[in-house]
Amino acid sequence: MNNLYFSIIIRFVMLVLLQGLIFNRFDLFGTYDPYICLVFILIFPIKINRIAFLIICFFFGIILDLFSNSYGINAAACLSIAFLRPFILNFVFGSFFDPHGVKMMKHYFNDSSIYQKIIYLFTIIFIHHLILFSLEIFSINHFNLIFIKTLNTSILSFIFCSTFIYLLVQNEK
Amino acid sequence: MQRIIDSILAKKDVLVFLILLLFSLYLITNSNFYHKAKILKVSNNFTNLIFDEYSYLNEYFRLEDYNDALIKENVRLHNELQNFKSINIDSSLLKKDFIYSNAKIISNNISLLKNYLIINKGSIDGVVREMGIISSEGIIGIVDEVSENYSSVMSILNLNLKINAKVKRTSHFGSLEWEGLDIDILILKDIPKTAKINIGDSVVTGGMSAIFPENIKIGIVSNVSTNNNSDNYLRIEIKLHNDMSKLRNIYLLSSLFKNEIEQLKTKNQ
Repeated sequence: MNNLYFSIIIRFVMLVLLQGLIFNRFDLFGTYDPYICLVFILIFPIKINRIAFLIICFFFGIILDLFSNSYGINAAACLSIAFLRPFILNFVFGSFFDPHGVKMMKHYFNDSSIYQKIIYLFTIIFIHHLILFSLEIFSINHFNLIFIKTLNTSILSFIFCSTFIYLLVQNEK
Repeated sequence: MQRIIDSILAKKDVLVFLILLLFSLYLITNSNFYHKAKILKVSNNFTNLIFDEYSYLNEYFRLEDYNDALIKENVRLHNELQNFKSINIDSSLLKKDFIYSNAKIISNNISLLKNYLIINKGSIDGVVREMGIISSEGIIGIVDEVSENYSSVMSILNLNLKINAKVKRTSHFGSLEWEGLDIDILILKDIPKTAKINIGDSVVTGGMSAIFPENIKIGIVSNVSTNNNSDNYLRIEIKLHNDMSKLRNIYLLSSLFKNEIEQLKTKNQ
């Protein structure tokens, strides 16, 4: 159990620094940065208390905000997907999902079809980006802009996150 | 009563979610005002320290580019100086509007829709709000918040920023905005259809405010189009001289007559 908390702290620090110092300056195709930090929420162990999960994700977002000179948008987006994650897991994996967390995230990724993995990753990433960019602009006039930006960034983030998860999940305790 | 409390406790994660969401929304809405949330402002200095060290390290890999840019600028300035040397003027009679000082960018974000930069000069070095920021290639942004050692700058790649600009050849004024997707292209609005703007015309600052002096270069016209509806204005795309993703050395502009102009403006209102 101690090992579990330790690995969460390591992931927290590592992903914040990776996102803040390297991936925020990626600027692929001009203006798109992949949000690698979502890996933290995507593979967060299910057996941890849901309230603790919400609070940890909130602070994760706040620290990301400090690194991107924005105020509260990352916190709100991370918090929302942390709240929505059990529902999405339930929707995607169906009866395979157990809310008490006997199964580990490793099992979800190893024992599911490729479509389930893609849908799980893409829904969470897309919702996160949609909340992030809509809160940032905060105006309905720029709907097209928000949609294009969300879709393009989601595809980029999806590619990077799935690679990272492939590397990380294999040796989950 | 017991039942009500029980039903609330049964959904306590929803309650925690709502409280934290309200708090983050509070931060977002408060960031639009001058006094930003104090918690963030204090801890921002901590990330700035990390950025400072990190950008110091990063600078070594791009030293050649920076030196090239500086030499090019020196050549241009020497040539301009040569023109003035042939004329005999008493320099004390020349009117001076702006004072330049230098600074370095330590954190640059271009992936969001309201982008901010951080520079390594703060109130100790005399930076105040609404100072203009330019590089040797053109304008970059306007100072937004100032702390002791650092300040944040609203980049021209920010949907909230509008800058007064003009087409140099025809002297038509308009306001310059960013559309959010292309980091090279800004849009010049409010220029009437009757104006004859060609592709390749250079666009410079208009000098209508106390933030930027007149004739600081911005970019060249890359496309001119008209909206199909009964709009009387042109939509002019401008390609920036600056590469906003590769900035390091910049100049701060402080206007000597800012207070005077502001006073006149408030009197008129």
